[in-house]
Amino acid sequence: MNRNPVMRLSAATQVINGEGIQAPEQFVTQEIRARLKYKNHQHMKVIILAVMVLLMVYGAADAQLPRERVETDDPVDNVFRATTNIGISTVRNLSAHTLNSTVLHTFGIIHGGDGRRGIDSFFGLDDGANTRIGLAYGITDKLSVNIGRMTFNKIVDFGGKYNVFRQTTSNSMPIELAVKTSVGINTTPGTGFDFSERLTYFGSVMIARKFDGFSLQLTPMMAHFSRTAEVNPEELYGLGFLVNYELNDRFAISGEYLPVIGDRNVATHDAVAVALNIDTGGHVFQLFFTSSQWHNEPFIMANNRDRFWKGDFRFGFNIHRVFGTGR
Amino acid sequence: MLLFILPFPALTADEPGADDVIYYTDSGHAGFMSRIPLHTFTGESEHLTGMIDFEENAVDFYLDLNTLKTGIGRRDRDMYRTLNIEQHPYAEFTGTLETDFDLNSDSRQSATAAGEFTVHGVTREISIEGYLQRQENGIRLEAEWVLNIEDYDIDPPSLLVIQVNEEQEIKIEAMLESQPRDEVIGSNASN
Repeated sequence: MNRNPVMRLSAATQVINGEGIQAPEQFVTQEIRARLKYKNHQHMKVIILAVMVLLMVYGAADAQLPRERVETDDPVDNVFRATTNIGISTVRNLSAHTLNSTVLHTFGIIHGGDGRRGIDSFFGLDDGANTRIGLAYGITDKLSVNIGRMTFNKIVDFGGKYNVFRQTTSNSMPIELAVKTSVGINTTPGTGFDFSERLTYFGSVMIARKFDGFSLQLTPMMAHFSRTAEVNPEELYGLGFLVNYELNDRFAISGEYLPVIGDRNVATHDAVAVALNIDTGGHVFQLFFTSSQWHNEPFIMANNRDRFWKGDFRFGFNIHRVFGTGR
Repeated sequence: MLLFILPFPALTADEPGADDVIYYTDSGHAGFMSRIPLHTFTGESEHLTGMIDFEENAVDFYLDLNTLKTGIGRRDRDMYRTLNIEQHPYAEFTGTLETDFDLNSDSRQSATAAGEFTVHGVTREISIEGYLQRQENGIRLEAEWVLNIEDYDIDPPSLLVIQVNEEQEIKIEAMLESQPRDEVIGSNASN
């Protein structure tokens, strides 16, 4: 019989733990039983504490949702940089509750024209600008309304644009489709025209797609002029071709070509323009060369008498500024 | 010993009861308002995800920052770059409710949550005050606070040459619907 209590405790513990050492029952004294009971109690405490810690860890993990990225099918961004490419409207529309202010300028012919040298008119800048100041407001993400006023013929125009489809990043909708209507009012005093004779009606359908950094838009359009010279048609039809190529996040180059289809006004030519777009985040600046000094599609179709490819182009710039009006 | 036993019934309960319910949304509204002189712009998202677990007193919300839109694509991209969302895609808050909420009352109750807010990879302890209100289809949450982006090592971006104010007004609104805890946390956890 081992008289050493520690050895006897160890032997008894091994018996109780089932470790195969058979210690005679008589070795397990009252004292050893008490110490074993205490030790087992301590073991239980440790086990329960361990379970508690595990529960706390488990509980802590449960208190946080697993993070998951949102799979969005957003509209394709920046099919064009602004709501107007140069002179022709784009499929781009305003977000809901945003206000867009635009200032469009076109100057005189760069080479001077009428026998003048370019420097004589400081490359057209001295010839006075046709300026259109406009405001547009996004009622929803798809519908906007606008009003503007330009220098030539003191035309005040108002209208709206609606996006029927938006091209999506997943290609679930491969194209953008928008419609635009507007009414222009010639407010020049002293012409003797009735109010109804001063009106011009316009409608267009804009179909566009962005291929990586390159965007293409086709815009069939029609304009009705309430009063025209006898030799000119009351309706004009056109097909606008718009392109945009993104150089990087900040810069893009764009162009447009607007052939008149069918009957056209006397001595007019198809308009052409090319632009550099500078996007600062809040502003978009468009610096361009264009054959037409007029703004808005009906008046470009009706009045462009210059030929871009013959060198008859002028400098112009547009400034677009978006203001968030909040919700 | 009672202390040790208390957690076990929740683990062993067979029938889901009030204790097994959390209030959850994945379509909450989150927005910020940013100011520069003469100009204010907002960013909005409808993808705020989060839950309140009254039983465990846990509050957890996160927003995939890629869903935050200001209405101008270029400005959005600048914002994502500034927030470095490639590396830190979420803004998240995890904490506890510091105030009691009476689930049996329909009144709009003030609530304060305290915990850790993380954005741009930087975590700060914050306290957020807002309102909770029990409604027919769940619990409506509204909260607003001011976030100083410099506290989160975010350099205030510039519009032209004017720097955006470092203080951004944050607003969240959500309708949290009652969901079985296992369905939301359990199923998500296995994803």
